[in-house]
Amino acid sequence: MWSDRLSRMRFLFGGRSRAEVDEELEFHIDRQIDANVAAGMTEVEARRQAAIEFGGRERVREQCREQRPSWSLELLLRDLRFALRGLLRNPGLASAAVLTLAVAICANSTIFSLLSQALLRALPVDDPSRLVVLNFAGSHPGHRHSEGGSSEGHTYEFSYPMYRDLREKNLVLSGLVASAPVTAGVTWNNRSEAVSVEMVSGDYFQTLGVRPAVGRLFAASDETAPGANPVAVLNFDYWRTHLAEAPVVGKNLLINGTPFAIAGVAAPGFQSVVWGRMPQVYVPITMQRTVEPEWDYLNDRKSYWITIAGRLRPEVTLAQAAASLNTLFLSVRAAEFTALADQSAKTRQEFIDHAHLNVEAGARGFSPLRDDVQAPLIIIMGMVLMVVAIAIVNVASLLLVRAANRVREFSVRYALGATSGQIVRQLLCEGLLLGVLGAGLGLALAPATLSLLIGWMAQDSPNPQAFTAMLDWRVFAFTAVAVIVGSLVFSLAPAVQFWNPRLAEALKQQAGTAMGGSLRFRKTCVALQIGFSLLLIVGAGMFVCTIRNLRSVNPGFETEHLLSFELAPAMAGYPAAGVAPVEQHVLERLGALPGIRSVGATNDEDLSGNNRAGDVDVSGYKPKRDEEFDVELPWVSTGYLETLGIPLIAGRTFNASDTATSQKVSVVNESFAKHYFASPQAALGRHVGRSGNANRAALDTVIVGVVRDVKHTTVHDPANPTCYMLYLQMGKPIGLAYYVRTWQAPQSAENSIRAAVANIDSKLIVSDVKTMTQAIDDSITSQRTMALLAAIFGGIAALLAGIGLYGILAYSTAQRTREIGIRMALGAHRATVVGLILRETLILTGWAVAVTLPVALFAARAVRSELFGVSFVHPSVYVIGIVTIGLVAALAGFVPARRAASVDPARALRTE
Amino acid sequence: MPQPADLLQGTLDMLILKAVANEPQHGWAIAQRIQQVSDNVLQIGQGSLYPALHRLEYKGWIRAQWGSSENNRKARFYSLTAAGRRQLNAELENWSRLSGAVNLVLQEI
Repeated sequence: MWSDRLSRMRFLFGGRSRAEVDEELEFHIDRQIDANVAAGMTEVEARRQAAIEFGGRERVREQCREQRPSWSLELLLRDLRFALRGLLRNPGLASAAVLTLAVAICANSTIFSLLSQALLRALPVDDPSRLVVLNFAGSHPGHRHSEGGSSEGHTYEFSYPMYRDLREKNLVLSGLVASAPVTAGVTWNNRSEAVSVEMVSGDYFQTLGVRPAVGRLFAASDETAPGANPVAVLNFDYWRTHLAEAPVVGKNLLINGTPFAIAGVAAPGFQSVVWGRMPQVYVPITMQRTVEPEWDYLNDRKSYWITIAGRLRPEVTLAQAAASLNTLFLSVRAAEFTALADQSAKTRQEFIDHAHLNVEAGARGFSPLRDDVQAPLIIIMGMVLMVVAIAIVNVASLLLVRAANRVREFSVRYALGATSGQIVRQLLCEGLLLGVLGAGLGLALAPATLSLLIGWMAQDSPNPQAFTAMLDWRVFAFTAVAVIVGSLVFSLAPAVQFWNPRLAEALKQQAGTAMGGSLRFRKTCVALQIGFSLLLIVGAGMFVCTIRNLRSVNPGFETEHLLSFELAPAMAGYPAAGVAPVEQHVLERLGALPGIRSVGATNDEDLSGNNRAGDVDVSGYKPKRDEEFDVELPWVSTGYLETLGIPLIAGRTFNASDTATSQKVSVVNESFAKHYFASPQAALGRHVGRSGNANRAALDTVIVGVVRDVKHTTVHDPANPTCYMLYLQMGKPIGLAYYVRTWQAPQSAENSIRAAVANIDSKLIVSDVKTMTQAIDDSITSQRTMALLAAIFGGIAALLAGIGLYGILAYSTAQRTREIGIRMALGAHRATVVGLILRETLILTGWAVAVTLPVALFAARAVRSELFGVSFVHPSVYVIGIVTIGLVAALAGFVPARRAASVDPARALRTE
Repeated sequence: MPQPADLLQGTLDMLILKAVANEPQHGWAIAQRIQQVSDNVLQIGQGSLYPALHRLEYKGWIRAQWGSSENNRKARFYSLTAAGRRQLNAELENWSRLSGAVNLVLQEI
C-alpha cells in the first residue's frame, strides 16, 4: 500500500526518463523482428516489417510523455518560458509595462493597507464578532468630554453612574466595559514624562479576553470606590521601550505624584477597545480623580466622558440586546430626569422622548479617529483606483501595439498549425507574467513607501503609532485580484483581434496596414487615459489650492517666532493649592529669560482643532426664546493677549492689578460684542457669567476690554464669539499651554525654557514643545496629506498617460508610413505632416476632455467638504488641468509625428 | 481474416490489467497475448499500448520492473499492484453488467 503511494509520489515531479522509454520501445521492435524471423522472413524483411508495423516512434514517445502527471505543469512552464522570451525580445516595452503596473500596485497596496487599518481591521481580542459598542440619542445636559467621533443622535460618551446601571441591570451581556483616555504625568526611576493613560473598568481585560504577559491584569476587585484602587497595568510596548522589560510587578509607579502598584503587563499587541487610542498605562476608572485632578466625574450623572462596549451573551442576538438595553436605558433616563434642575416640557422631550440607546456591532471597536480619516482615505482610494485603471489601460494599449507588430509572427504560427486557443493562451501567459512581475515589484516597494507615508502622516502627531507600517494579507488578496483582473483585461485586448476565424486569410493579404476594428479600441484607450488623467490633475489642483489657501490664511495674529509647550503641575504631584503659584512662577521666570519678548498661557490651545465652549449669561441682553448660543471660553493668563498679538479695540487687557481675589474680569472679542451689544464700546462694563451653575453667583464677571477677532479652533473655521477669562480667578487647578514670543528662531528657545522650568522644580514636565507654524501644519494634516498624495497621483497619471499615448501614437503613425509617403511624394511638407498628426491627436484629446469635464465637476463637487477657499468650479484649476493634459498629449504625438515626417517618401512607398 | 474491431473507450485499460493479472509481462507480450486470445479480432497498436501502460503506471495500478526476457534481453515487465487488482475487479464487474444489459436489449428487440 505504502510502496504504491511512494511509487506514485515519485512520478509527481517528472516521470520516466527519455532513455528508459527509448529502451522499452527498442525492445519491442527487436522482439517483433525475432518473431518475424521465426515466422520465416529474412533478416532484412523482418526488420522492415517490424518498422512498418510500429510506425512513427517519435509520436509514441511524445504520447508517452503526455501521460506524465506533471504534463500540464510542464505545458504551463513552457508557455511561461515562451512568454518571457517574447517579453525580453522587446525589453523597453516590457519594462514600461512592468513599471507602470508596479507603480499602480505599489500605490494600491500602500493606500489599501492604511484603509484596511482604519476601516476594516478587527480588535485583537477574543471573538471580536460578539463585541458591541453603545451610543445614544437624546440631550446630555451638563459636561461632555469627547474625543470626537460622535454625531447627531450618536453620542458615544456616557456617565459613570449610567454605565454602572447598564452593567449591573442588563440580562443580555456577559460583560460591559468602560474606558476613557487622559494624559497624566508618570514617574519611573525619577524620570517624569507626560503619558497616555487609559482609565478602565475592573472587568475590562477579562471581558475583552486580554491575557497578561507578566503578573495579573485588573479584576472586579480593582474597581471598588473612588480613589481606593491605586494599581496600574502597563502596555506591553511601553514596558519594553520605556522600562526595558524590568521586573515591575509589585513595584510602584508615580502617576501625578501618587504611587500606583504595578499589577502586571498586558499581552503584546493589545492597545485599547477604542481603535486609535495608544495608552501606555491602564488604571482603574475609580482613580479618575487622581489621574485627572481638574475634574470629579465619578458620581456625576451629568458628566459624559466614558465610552462603553459590551460582549453579547451566547444565544443573544444583536437585535435582542439592542431592544433589551434600550428599555433599561430609558428607565434609567426617566429616573435621571427627576434630578434635573430644568423640568420643562421641552427638556423632558429632549431628555426622554428623543432618547434612544443604539447598539452597534463592535468587532472593529469604536474609533473617533476612524471617522476623521474615513472621508480623506476614501477620496485617496478613489484616486488610487483611477491610477490603477490608467495603468491597466496603459498596459493594454502597449500590449496591443506589441501584438499588432507581431502580425507576422502570429501568421507563421498559424501556418505551422497553432490554434486560436494556443495563441490566446500565449497572450494570457504574457499578460499574466507582466501582471505578476509588476505586482511583485510593486509589493517589494510597498513596505518602504508605506513607512515613508506613515512617517509623513504621523509627524508630530499626538499618537504616532495609530497607523502601523504593516502590510496585511488583505493587501495581498486585493492586489492579487487587481492584478488578475487587470492582466486578463489587458492580455485579452489584443486577443480579441486574433480571435477571428478569417484571420488566416486576413493575414495573408494584410501586411502593414492598420486593422480597422482595433482603431476604435485604440482611440478609446487614448480617450480613457486622457480622461482619468484630467480627473486626477484637476483633483490635485483642487487640493493643492486648498493647502496653499490654508497655509496663507491670516489667523489675525503673527504666527512666526511663537513657541508653545504644555505644562501641568498636577502631573508632578502638585496639590490643587500649589498649582496656580507654580504656574505664576513659571510665567515670571520665562518672561525674564533673554531672547524672549513675552510669555502667556491658556487652557485652550490655539489652532489645534480643539475648543472649549459653553453658554454664558450676559447682563442687559434678553435671549430669544430657546436661544442656544455657545461662545468660546478660554481661560488665559495676564500677558496672553499681548504675546499672541491680538489687537485691542476698546478698554484694556488683563494686567497685574487683576488677581485671584480682585473683581473678576474678562475680555471679549469683536464678534461677541457685536452679538450681544451691537458695538465694542457698549460691551465695556457689562457683566457676564456662566449660566445654569448653582455654585457660582451669576453675572459676577465684568467686561474690561474688547479685542479683534482671531481664528482660534483651526485656520479654516471662522472666528467664533469668544470670552477670555483670567485663569487665576477661576479657582480651578488646571494645566496650561504656554506661548512664548521670541526674538530669534523659536526653536532656539526650547533649551533655555526647559532649563528654567527644571530650575523651578525638576519634577515639572514640559511636553509637546512646538512652534506655531508646526501647530498649524498639524491642524491641517489631513489636507496636507491629501494635497501631497493628489499631487503625486496627478503626476503619476500624467506620466502614465504620456507613456500610453506615446506607445499608441508611435504605433499608429508607423502604420501610416505609406500614406505619409504618398502625401510627401505629392508635395506635402514635413510641417504639414506633423501638423496633420498633431491635429488628430489634439482633436481626440478635445473630445476626451469634453466628455471628462462634467465628470470632473461632479467628482470635485463630491469632495468639496475637503476643500477650503477654492470653489469646485474654480476655472483656473480646470484650465491648468486641460493645458497640462494637452501638452502631454501634444508631446506624446509630436515625437512619432516628427519621426514619420522624416521618412524618405521613396523608401516608405517601397517597403510595402 | 476478420477486420480488427475498434476498442471501446476505456476497455484497453481493462484488457491490459487483465493481461498482466497472473504474471508480469512486457509490452510486446501483452499486445501479442491480447491479439492471440481474441483470435486476432483485437489488435493493439504501439501508438496506444505504451501511452496506456505509462498512464496505468502513473496511476499506480501497475508496477514496472526491469527484468530478463525469454530471449535473454533486458525488458520492462509490468505487474498488477493491489490498487490495480481492485480496479480490475471493479472494471470487470462493470463490464459484465454493461454487456449483460446490452445483450438483454438485443435479444428483446
